[in-house]
Amino acid sequence: MNIAFLRNSLRMRLLAGTLVWIVISILVAGWGLGQLFHQHVEAQFDVELKNHLDQLTAQLILDEQNQAQVRLLPSDPRLNKPLSGLYWQIDHIAAAGEHPIKAVLRSRSLWDETLAVPADAPADGEIHQHRIEGPQGVTLRVVERTVTIDTHSLRLMVAANESLMTGPIADFKGHLWLALGILGMGLTFAASMQVFVGLAPLRSMQDALGRVRHGDARNMEGTFPNEIMPLVNEFNTMLAQNAEVVERARTQAGNLAHALKTPLSVLANAAHVHEKRDDDLARLVASQVDTVRKQVDYHLSRAQAAASVQVPGMRTAVEPVIRGLVRVMQRVHAERQIEFVLLPDQANLAFRGEEQDLQEMLGNLIDNASKWARSRIEIQVSDESGKLRVRIDDDGKGIAETERDHVLKRGVRADGQVPGTGLGLAITADLARMYGGDLVLAKSSLGGLQASLILPAV
Amino acid sequence: MRILVVEDELTLAAQLVEGIQSVGYVVDVAHNGVDGHFMGKTEPYDAIVLDLGLPQMDGITVLKKWRAAGRTLPVLILTARDTWREKVAGIDAGADDYLTKPFHMEELLARLRALIRRAGGHASTELVCGPLTLDTRSSRASVDGTALTLTSHEYRVLAYLMHHPGEIVSRAELTEHIYAQDFDRDSNTVEVFIARLRKKLPPGLIETVRGLGYRLNKAQ
Repeated sequence: MNIAFLRNSLRMRLLAGTLVWIVISILVAGWGLGQLFHQHVEAQFDVELKNHLDQLTAQLILDEQNQAQVRLLPSDPRLNKPLSGLYWQIDHIAAAGEHPIKAVLRSRSLWDETLAVPADAPADGEIHQHRIEGPQGVTLRVVERTVTIDTHSLRLMVAANESLMTGPIADFKGHLWLALGILGMGLTFAASMQVFVGLAPLRSMQDALGRVRHGDARNMEGTFPNEIMPLVNEFNTMLAQNAEVVERARTQAGNLAHALKTPLSVLANAAHVHEKRDDDLARLVASQVDTVRKQVDYHLSRAQAAASVQVPGMRTAVEPVIRGLVRVMQRVHAERQIEFVLLPDQANLAFRGEEQDLQEMLGNLIDNASKWARSRIEIQVSDESGKLRVRIDDDGKGIAETERDHVLKRGVRADGQVPGTGLGLAITADLARMYGGDLVLAKSSLGGLQASLILPAV
Repeated sequence: MRILVVEDELTLAAQLVEGIQSVGYVVDVAHNGVDGHFMGKTEPYDAIVLDLGLPQMDGITVLKKWRAAGRTLPVLILTARDTWREKVAGIDAGADDYLTKPFHMEELLARLRALIRRAGGHASTELVCGPLTLDTRSSRASVDGTALTLTSHEYRVLAYLMHHPGEIVSRAELTEHIYAQDFDRDSNTVEVFIARLRKKLPPGLIETVRGLGYRLNKAQ
């Protein structure tokens, strides 16, 4: 995971932020709890040692020979068990001119060992603590006090193996870290879930957008959280506005065509009447009208297509368009009894674009095929590696290879015999290219022309 | 043959009337969708030229109404928008052919002829009945290769009979198909045209079916 990824992913940002906090709080909590417990156990331990010391002090007497005696031995069974870890010892502190005697009395647990406590002389009533090395090299925690009866000074010590204290602490810390670890994992999981659930609307928004882009939907559908809904609404409004602009452009283009073409008809017909009388002006008007009509047709079709290529969310099923156009051809060329064959292929293929543009492209191609076919036209729709391919074959005389590039150029006709504007193939090729597709002409296996229209599919 | 032209642009309508009349058809004209619809529904036309962009009622609606009312006559639509969407809509509404503006009058006449021919079940532009031949393209009739000289009314009567050979055609039917709507009709004039035609044609070709009308004899 590099930094750029971290910075670019909202999920990673949220997760990383949460994780840092989880780790820090768990470390602090673990350390703090450990310390507290340690102090508590240590205090307990010391209290227990002092209790033992107090008990020992209370039972200490001097017998007739001025020898220290413990009347009633402390009851803790560990003091009777050899090397149990809990010990006591009483030293005799030498007065002036006397020998100090170590371990005048000691617990049974010390067996024949003595506690080597560094020399110290706590004042009356004070309790001192030491850490010393005891039997078998273990660390002992020692409390001592000095007791003076008459002139005899005695040093009372109670010691315990420190592992009696550190063992439970280590145990506790182990459990603590385990518990915190589990807590941390739980929190991390919860945070991931939170991020996952929290960001889920973004993913469904992405899906909704995808559907719009693929043309499965006209706008973003579904309900989104209040924070995202305004964004979705704005986007839908924009889509609607776009569609409206396109529709307006189309209508205006259509109106312009309508407004221009009826006067052009009048002009052409008037000129035609005079043309028969060998009138130069009439011929000029007729030829210019023809040019104007071609220009209008060509630029209108381009303008209309240019508007819609930009609009997302377009989807047009291909088969109904083909069927509509075939109905037209069958009616118009009823007498010639051309057989239109729609070759079976994957059904439900759709074009990513405006219906009218598909109609224009296929209309021009099927019309062209119908004009030239002798008896049969085959139409096949197929999916070619993600692109839509409509292949139209006719059994007419076809177009010579050298002519094919030529007819795709604007306003060129291969032959003047059959009525038509001579723009059909050129307009179709142009429209196809605007959609990122192409029109390819080849020789058909039926003998005539094969026109393959390649377009973006949905 | 009687044709209805529904076109709102007056100059173009006049040109259409002139052009269609020049090949021997009778023409009525309507300048809006409502009138056009009414005339097409009530008058026995042989074909209709219908502009799609009409005031008051658009061409597609007019056409759908005719078809819904059971009118089966051939209809040629004129479109200015020149989109395939409009052509498909027109054909699906019941049109038989389309022509986009601007068009050549010759092309319109050729399409119109083809539609009338198709509606009568004729495959050729030449109608033949015994020794009689009618070329619908040049509007000429001939007997055994000799051209006949006919007035426009005589031609219309003969052409209508030639489009319905062997069928009994009433005087009223003939009247309706050779005169425009606002023409002062008199069915007696049909008798005059028949009598004149009989003089120009071989005897027995046009038979009078008493009380019913006339019949063009196929077998001869």
